[in-house]
Amino acid sequence: MSYHLTLAETETSLRKVARACGLDWGLAEEAGKAARWLAAFNLPGPETMLAHLQELAGKDYRAFMPQSSAQPWHASGGLLCPIITGAALADRSAQMLDGKVFTLGPTAYPLLLAATVGQAARCHQTVFTTAWAGVRVSCFENGLSIEGNRDDLLLTRVDAVSCQQDDLSSPQQLPSTMAYAIDEEIVKHIEEFAFKIYAPATEASRAGAGAGLTDND
Amino acid sequence: MDCADQNPMPDAANFRRPPEVVMRLARMGSFHQTRLSFMRSLLRRLKNEDWKFKRNLWAINEQGFGRAVYTVYGPERAYSLVAFSHDLPDEMRSDRVIATAWDTTFSLYDGIPSAADLDRLEQNVPKQEAGRISDSELSLSRANRSVRLWQHVVDRLAAGRQPDVDQLEAVGYLVRTTAVYGSGKFGAADRLSIAGRPEVSAPFQAELLSVWLTRAFSLDLVEHIARARGGDQAVPIEPEMRRRIGVGNSTGLGMAPFLINHPALLNNWMMAREEALARVRALPQAEPAAIAEFKRHFERACFNLSQWHSEHPIQVEKLAVLRADLELMASYIAGESLSEDHPWDRFYRWAEESLSLEGQEQLVSLLIEPYGELVDELTQCMDADEHLAFFIDGAMPVARLYEIIETRCQWALQVDYEQLENRARFWYTSAEKLEPRVGERFHEPGAEYELPLAIGYDIKQMHAVLTIWEGGQTTAEFLLAHPEHRHTARRVQNLAVRPYAEIQDNLIAADMLPIDILRCKLSFFGATKFDPRSDRWVRICMYQDAPFPHELLAAAP
Repeated sequence: MSYHLTLAETETSLRKVARACGLDWGLAEEAGKAARWLAAFNLPGPETMLAHLQELAGKDYRAFMPQSSAQPWHASGGLLCPIITGAALADRSAQMLDGKVFTLGPTAYPLLLAATVGQAARCHQTVFTTAWAGVRVSCFENGLSIEGNRDDLLLTRVDAVSCQQDDLSSPQQLPSTMAYAIDEEIVKHIEEFAFKIYAPATEASRAGAGAGLTDND
Repeated sequence: MDCADQNPMPDAANFRRPPEVVMRLARMGSFHQTRLSFMRSLLRRLKNEDWKFKRNLWAINEQGFGRAVYTVYGPERAYSLVAFSHDLPDEMRSDRVIATAWDTTFSLYDGIPSAADLDRLEQNVPKQEAGRISDSELSLSRANRSVRLWQHVVDRLAAGRQPDVDQLEAVGYLVRTTAVYGSGKFGAADRLSIAGRPEVSAPFQAELLSVWLTRAFSLDLVEHIARARGGDQAVPIEPEMRRRIGVGNSTGLGMAPFLINHPALLNNWMMAREEALARVRALPQAEPAAIAEFKRHFERACFNLSQWHSEHPIQVEKLAVLRADLELMASYIAGESLSEDHPWDRFYRWAEESLSLEGQEQLVSLLIEPYGELVDELTQCMDADEHLAFFIDGAMPVARLYEIIETRCQWALQVDYEQLENRARFWYTSAEKLEPRVGERFHEPGAEYELPLAIGYDIKQMHAVLTIWEGGQTTAEFLLAHPEHRHTARRVQNLAVRPYAEIQDNLIAADMLPIDILRCKLSFFGATKFDPRSDRWVRICMYQDAPFPHELLAAAP
């Protein structure tokens, strides 16, 4: 059954899922923003993010981090995490603004990487384009455009990705939405994962929290 | 909008209080509402823009159950409070956020709802968190009747008599809200979708509009029930007494992390308030009319204090001190000082030397009252795009990151976290209540669920790691090696451009009082009569003495 997830709910829930799957808070924040950004353009950000994070859960995510000394970037574990790598690229946006093109080796869910880097495009009011297989995803301040083969958008892993500043002056914008239609079963799944960052109640927490009374006056 | 861009008084910068003075919990926990508070700026806008009002539906039975719609019409758009009144058995009455049934439930509809919308909302709004609203709605809320006051008022009005003033003043409201959800919660419209509308782009305008209309509904409801009961002999409440009735609210820990999680917003709220104070302090003279206006508000503050009650030891002491402070202020006002040069600055500096924090902050609110023309525009810079505070400048040299901490975060570095009392607490989200809570780190399990709200502690941890990095290396390199400091680096960089973005106190200390955070936030809303019920939750009153929709606005056709 279809369900409408608001953008605020998307960001909050996926941030929690990322944390539950072991990412540090700062990276979990990036995951929430990226999922929200994609959902805003009716792209399956929440579902893709959930799938990726589930694969990451319980593993040492440092094995998915880029070794940035030489291009193309690689992860010691073989596959780059799009959130960690996307954040590292966003942190290097000044270099992209200077014309540097970053190249990556094997990468999981490149759409998530494009969205994570895209957050920096918004702040710089520029366009960052991420390309893989037959598709190019460009993020600019308030929009996102896709060129090429849309079938490649949702690839779960690719062997090569590039990321650079672009000079698209009027990219074709996708229609944006404020409430993302999503399968209710997937929402339940997201909520189950998000719930894992909540602390189970204890006697002490029950006694000490908020209003200790049934207050009726 | 940035306040700095539209500063008509550059001299005011010399009078601005620095963040290390303002951003302390003890002071923030002594804030009072000001004319910049969101309830007041909302009502000013409705009046200035000549909004109209109409109660479009009143389908309430003699027992007081049913539905109603209250609509305000602006220059471009209308907004409607959809209200449902229910039969709530006494055993289900609870103002805990985890309750499942309420006397009244509400949603603010974006426009004028159709009958089908009302049916849809009736299926969902009464269930609150367990229901689902849509992007046609801007808020979701509920309120319970005051057991202390409701029946008394019904009985009196039904018998043709006015309520007892003392009982009315002791409570101050007929209904008390227990949660007002907005911005994308439970399916409601995302904030982004209304951010371009001037009437609701300032913080919490939609939520506070719903509360203002809820107050009107609560008065109409009590009079309706009294009329049904008393027939011809029933009377409405006299207008003056009616205005003394606000809307109550209980607020607990759930609201506390908001200010910490919205650093850009907190910065802009504080900047606006501090700029307003600075502009008034920078005035070389006080005109007689301004002095008279100040005195009028001073008298009102004295009266309000006489009606402000609390049984909580902390607040009892604060109220006693505030009482003494107001007496000292009265003596000061009676003297000649207001006719000297820079009289408001002199007054403020005297207050810093002579009054408690409660008294000082009461004076801050009073000082800006006569100067609407000078300060009201500052409400335009109280919203914020948090996304701008999200960006990390990866090219920033590590030495600069270190320097920001050294210059702006001494409050964090000076705390010795080896002392257990300095990290005695941890913030977490309770699986049972789905709300933030504070735990005792060394006495309760669950610290592994800690939320990233130990800002000072985290800054000091990052600072320690940064000391062994080469200054010329970049923040990007540092964060690739230390992703665990990413959320902290974000905040530290933000502090360089938003100096009021952080509460400069230890949020995990054994003696930290969450009610200080709550009071700060609620004062920006415009709440009064802060009445802490513990160190973690507080009861307040909203819109007391404010005009009702039918008084402030002309009737819509």
